Amino acid sequence: MKKTPTHTELSELELDALTELVNLGISQAAHRLAKMVKEEVVLSVPKVTLVGQKEAIKILGERESKNMVAVHQIFEGEITGRALLIFPEANSLELVRAVIGRDLSIEEIIELEQEALAETGNVILNGCLATIANLLHRNLKISLPEVLRGESAEFFNLKPPPEAGDTVMFIYINFAVRQRNIEGYIAMLMDMPSMATLKVLLGEFIRRTTGASTS
Amino acid sequence: MAERKTESQDAILNAIDAGLVVLDRHGRIVRWNAWMVSASGKSAKEVRGKSLAQVFPDVDLERVVTATTAALESGASTLLTQVLHPRLFPLKTRAGRDLLHDVTICTVGDPPDAECLIHIADVTMATLRDGYLRDRQNARYDAVVESAPDVILTLDGDAVVRYANPAAALQFGHTAKELVGQNAAILFESQTAWTDIWHGLRKGDKSRQPVELLARRKDGSMSYLEVSAARWQVDSRVFVTAILRDVNERRAAEEALRSSEAQAHAAADALADLNATLEQRVQERTEKLMEAEEALRQSQKMEAIGQLTGGIAHDFNNLLQGINGALDMVQKRIAAGRIGDIDRFVQGAIASANRASALTHRLLAFSRRQPVNPRPLDTNHLIGTMEELLRRTIGEKLRMEIVGANDLWLVRCDANQLENALLNLAINARDAMPEGGTLTLATSNMVLDASQALVRDVKPGEYVRLTIKDTGIGMADDVQARAFDPFYTTKPIGQGTGLGLSMIYGFVRQSEGSVRIESEVGEGTTIEICLPRFIGDLVPDVSDQGDGAAERQTLDNEVVLVVEDEDVVRLLVVEVLNDLGYLALEAVDGSSALRILQSSQRIDLLATDLGLPDINGRQVADTARTKRPNLKVLFMTGYAEKAAGSTFLGDGMEIISKPFTMDNLAVKIREMIER
Repeated sequence: MKKTPTHTELSELELDALTELVNLGISQAAHRLAKMVKEEVVLSVPKVTLVGQKEAIKILGERESKNMVAVHQIFEGEITGRALLIFPEANSLELVRAVIGRDLSIEEIIELEQEALAETGNVILNGCLATIANLLHRNLKISLPEVLRGESAEFFNLKPPPEAGDTVMFIYINFAVRQRNIEGYIAMLMDMPSMATLKVLLGEFIRRTTGASTS
Repeated sequence: MAERKTESQDAILNAIDAGLVVLDRHGRIVRWNAWMVSASGKSAKEVRGKSLAQVFPDVDLERVVTATTAALESGASTLLTQVLHPRLFPLKTRAGRDLLHDVTICTVGDPPDAECLIHIADVTMATLRDGYLRDRQNARYDAVVESAPDVILTLDGDAVVRYANPAAALQFGHTAKELVGQNAAILFESQTAWTDIWHGLRKGDKSRQPVELLARRKDGSMSYLEVSAARWQVDSRVFVTAILRDVNERRAAEEALRSSEAQAHAAADALADLNATLEQRVQERTEKLMEAEEALRQSQKMEAIGQLTGGIAHDFNNLLQGINGALDMVQKRIAAGRIGDIDRFVQGAIASANRASALTHRLLAFSRRQPVNPRPLDTNHLIGTMEELLRRTIGEKLRMEIVGANDLWLVRCDANQLENALLNLAINARDAMPEGGTLTLATSNMVLDASQALVRDVKPGEYVRLTIKDTGIGMADDVQARAFDPFYTTKPIGQGTGLGLSMIYGFVRQSEGSVRIESEVGEGTTIEICLPRFIGDLVPDVSDQGDGAAERQTLDNEVVLVVEDEDVVRLLVVEVLNDLGYLALEAVDGSSALRILQSSQRIDLLATDLGLPDINGRQVADTARTKRPNLKVLFMTGYAEKAAGSTFLGDGMEIISKPFTMDNLAVKIREMIER
């Protein structure tokens, strides 16, 4: 892993553990989503990276068109930060249509989009965050969802201003719902103390898991 | 205290216009506010200590249970909207209608002592209002879109189909469901055209004309659609609604029209090409014909001369005989010393020599290649100069009468061609009278009125009429009708080209006149030529001046240099000049002439033979002119054709053909010097 002074470094093992946690969280989210839409939902995580705030903006800016939609939630506890489920605007409509599952006119979908997106994002982010928190044996308070629209730079510059050295845990996710493939991202913005705590918690998690496997 | 606190909290909870339920960490109901009592119809007492599943046994509460678990165990907040979970709880409004609601579930306090708060918000009014507004707004739109015969697609900013009406399914063969979510580009065969339209729309181009596109149906067949599209926007989100009209029938009709037009065009083009080719061919043929005509006109003359040769040789012999005989007689009389009456024989010889001279002169003039040069003419005079030639042409068996009108008007035409015409007609007449007869040439003035002009296809007015009448075999009507056709001849092969009359016709028409034939079999033929009257003066032609030119009075001593290698001719010319009062200088060749010309000697005129032993007359003249640019030059030559070349004579240069009479020479020289 590249050494970058702007964010807390995770060892390869810690990153593997984090990826594992995220995968478990996402599969939990997929399970909940599937229950909600009464259809099979496949959520996969091809990649997890830790990047700086500017790099995160750059990655999204390069990969996606300008207009993005995000479902935003705040998590508080030993680890504090913002979680964002981000889609290109077009994909967000696909997601809503997939989730609602009824034949709706574009006008109806636009009307329902806000609420449906909020709830769907809520399910995914909750599933992900809660699972990770549980596996790390920690409690988090997770806020209600809020839908944001705009460019990636806006999502990573929300008020109050982030403290220096904010790290973005960047999670690429693929959705497959009702034969529709939807690509999106989960970004978790954490400050330096939170990252330090995460590193400690990941260490404990690794010890527990490997200890359990050796016992 | 705690009791009072709980009571006051209950009062607050009951006062809130929203459903509030608190569950303990085991999921049992510990709070149930007044709003919940009203909406669910269940009292707080009734539900306290029970789980939600016990209170609402007929409701699928899986999501609620999950959410409460997440809240109690992980501190997660959950939103359950009526959009995705319509009528989650069986709640009624105070009026007894279904109560639409959103539910939020979150944590109260910290685990492990945390409780779970369920908050239920009444969104009935807002949802119904939205729905009502939407329905009202959509009713008309839907009616149009759903029943439209045209395909109507709504595309998002990435050209992905978001809506497709029933006509789209019919047109493309894809169901609306299959279409939605696909990029619209897959529907079009002409990708470039579609991309152009799309980019234009994305940029916000307004008022685009409908564009025709080739679309591909699900079964692979093609369809022509006329696309008109408009962009619209919701917040920052761009949509495009496209209307695609099936234009296959119209196109087929247009195609049919185009193809028939194309055929018509092709036919017209082919015709135009053919015309152009024909015109070009006609042009080429005309040019060739004109060349051939020119050549033939000349050969016609030569043919005529050829026919004349026999008779003329005979005549010439007669004339020479006359001359020789006379000279013999003179010689004998001188030898015998009887010189008293030799004058008679000398006069006879001179007369014969003059006649021979006139004859050869006419022949030379006739055979000369001359450009067509219309000029005013006296027809009677022209006939007069031809009389000798004509008489010899028709031979001794035939009589010839010439009836020239007095005060005949002038005409304007090419003398050479008119002579040619007369000669040809005379030959024809002769051939038509193998048993003898009379050829009558007559001239008269004639005023053609409208009907007479119409018959002759000329303008009404004054004409000179020339008739050539024979008493021969005549022509049948069919022969008459074709007489002016080129190459038409009744003569045996080798005796005529058949071009004579057609060339006469051409010449006469060119001169804005007419030519007609009147003939009956056995009654002879009359050819009538009408040429328009020329108003103006006759331009005198020196060479045509007859014998007996004006006597010359002595003038100032103008100087004429005579260059002639033939002693007798030079002697005669000098003698004539002296008689006329000019000072004559002599030179026997070019070089001696040049010595004189390069001196300061006054010289008014250079009269030189063209064919000189050393340098020819032309070169003498040109060299002399470098020093004397205005020197007048008279060439004397026996070769008229050579001298008549258009570029040969410069200003102040003239030519006189041998043989010439001394009077002619005198007139010419005087004219040149005085000019």
